[in-house]
Amino acid sequence: MAVRKNITNWGNYPKTSSEITHLHDANAPDLKLSHDKKVIARGNGRCYGDASLGESVISTLELSNFIEFDAKSKTITCEAGVLLSDLLEFLVPKGFFIPVTPGTKFITVGGAIAADVHGKNHHKDGCFSSFVESFMLFVGPGEIIQCSPTENDQLFYRTFGAMGLTGVVLSATFKVIAIETSFIYQESIKASNLDEIFALFEDSAEWKYTVAWIDCLQKGKSLGRSIIMRGESASLDKLNKKQAKNPLKVHDDRIKNIPFFFPSFVLNTLSVKLFNWAYYLKQFRKKETSVVHYDQFFYPLDSIGEWNKIYGKPGFIQYQFVLPLENSKAGMRAILEEIANSGLGSFLAVLKLFGKNDSRFYNSFPIEGYTLALDFKYSKKLSGLVERMDQIVLDNGGRIYRAKDCMSRAELTNYIKAESDWFGSLQSERITMKS
Amino acid sequence: MIVLGANSDISKKFTELVLQKEDIRKVYLLSSSPDKTINFRSHLKVKYNADVEIIKLNLLDPPKIDFSSMEYSLVFCASGYMGAQQEAVITNNEDNAKITAINYSNLILVLNEIAQDMERKGEGTIIGVSSVAGERGRKSNFIYGSAKAGFTAYLSGLRNYFNKKGIHVLTVKPGFMYTKMTEDLELPKALTITPEKAAKLIYRGYIKKRNVIYIAWMWKWIMLIIKSIPEFIFKRLSL
Repeated sequence: MAVRKNITNWGNYPKTSSEITHLHDANAPDLKLSHDKKVIARGNGRCYGDASLGESVISTLELSNFIEFDAKSKTITCEAGVLLSDLLEFLVPKGFFIPVTPGTKFITVGGAIAADVHGKNHHKDGCFSSFVESFMLFVGPGEIIQCSPTENDQLFYRTFGAMGLTGVVLSATFKVIAIETSFIYQESIKASNLDEIFALFEDSAEWKYTVAWIDCLQKGKSLGRSIIMRGESASLDKLNKKQAKNPLKVHDDRIKNIPFFFPSFVLNTLSVKLFNWAYYLKQFRKKETSVVHYDQFFYPLDSIGEWNKIYGKPGFIQYQFVLPLENSKAGMRAILEEIANSGLGSFLAVLKLFGKNDSRFYNSFPIEGYTLALDFKYSKKLSGLVERMDQIVLDNGGRIYRAKDCMSRAELTNYIKAESDWFGSLQSERITMKS
Repeated sequence: MIVLGANSDISKKFTELVLQKEDIRKVYLLSSSPDKTINFRSHLKVKYNADVEIIKLNLLDPPKIDFSSMEYSLVFCASGYMGAQQEAVITNNEDNAKITAINYSNLILVLNEIAQDMERKGEGTIIGVSSVAGERGRKSNFIYGSAKAGFTAYLSGLRNYFNKKGIHVLTVKPGFMYTKMTEDLELPKALTITPEKAAKLIYRGYIKKRNVIYIAWMWKWIMLIIKSIPEFIFKRLSL
């Protein structure tokens, strides 16, 4: 028997009632499946939209054991429900770090594989998949398959980015990277328009980590006003005295929670404008350098627990697309103009230049080119804007990130080729129906 | 340390917390399904460099275990079985026998073995996880409740027995907790705590050498009210 609960992802939209079954034993998942009712794996629910939601959900959150760690070969094996934050608490004091991380550390290892997450080092290192050596996959009743590039390789490659449609990841073995300190040497440079920020990205190809925050409400000459942040793992000599006292400091696990849903009018065009204006002007000089802790560099929003509540009860969507490099600049300009004209402001839009993709992982979202991730408060007006943005993405040969999708056109998300009689989500059903 | 019912969520969280805070490295995990404990053993080894031994403990047919050769001074007992939760508890005696054996009658025989060994060694702490269900019998689960009531009385007697013998007994009475045992139940959010939080509270009780603790605190007052309802009223209630 499983209990029914109302669940939703990080965007609080859409909300569903699901039957949740918890897995407790990664070696012998006791799951009864039926063909009439597809199931979908779910980790910590930090994706957006309708990914990992469904009538029937299998939670891997209780699979939280570390299984093996070898410092010499820099390999770790753990169960699928282990959070990146748990990994960091373990790895950082030993001088290691996660090879690829998204903008929150509260995702599970299983989720990192299912979405094949990318990070600020995509242009250098690719996605999470680049570091995974093997994983155990539950593919149907009584059937657990070990997948690696040498065993069941097709299933191995297909699973990355397939959003749980190939099965339930139970445990995984992957490489970690060595660090001298847990701090990041960071340069932030202001760009007053889109051409400047593109040039800065191209200039920063040698930096390990690059990302830009972009103000989507700017128009005309200021369209694309942004700040690029580029970083390298800091060496010991870069730290100030205080930092050097504990060079492998772990993130603070105390977080301040947003206590309640903000009334939905709090976030409006004006408040977003004010925020963006203040954020841009906070940095006086064109270029600033600093040494910051990884928690501040990679996870600025994690320190505010449940920050999603500021969007109010209706929730919000994230819209993330990538455009092929040759169309990136024109397409990005068109979309930014569309957003600025719509007046539906987005807080903290994030721009990033992806590097070349590894074609073996054909279900992975990233392709070489610029990607932009935006938040939009959910409202009735939103679907019109999404339709117009979708059209531009489509015209430019781009695609949408499934880990965030909930209302985009199926042509933009059906690049994922994975089908199963057992596994399906609200998202996969919506996309199949529309295709 | 010795952990009985090592597969329970509360056992896992408490064991981890002890390994984080104390200089304990030797762990004995006693569980009815040792296969399910394998990854947890690895976990304790990888994260805390613990030396872990898994021992099968089927409380329906308890084996003879030699505790004297074990290296421990802390015993955490969270063995428990809530039963099949059918409509009327009096109808399923097969299950009821399991409930009383696992929560009380066979469990205390194993604990007595440990207690004898601890008495010889002259030091240590026994933490027993009982339940608020043992405070008053209710029609929905009074077999489980009566077994837990027996267990609570056992722990209280054991504490008395060990007084001035260097061994401390801590009785833990949880209310609602989000665990494997309760994941299919609808629990009131305000009265339900996570195993992590429960482990922290138990650890605090252990350090402070408390005798009886409720987790969380409000259950002490809730049970005080429930216990003070006169029987002629209580018998008419549906709790």
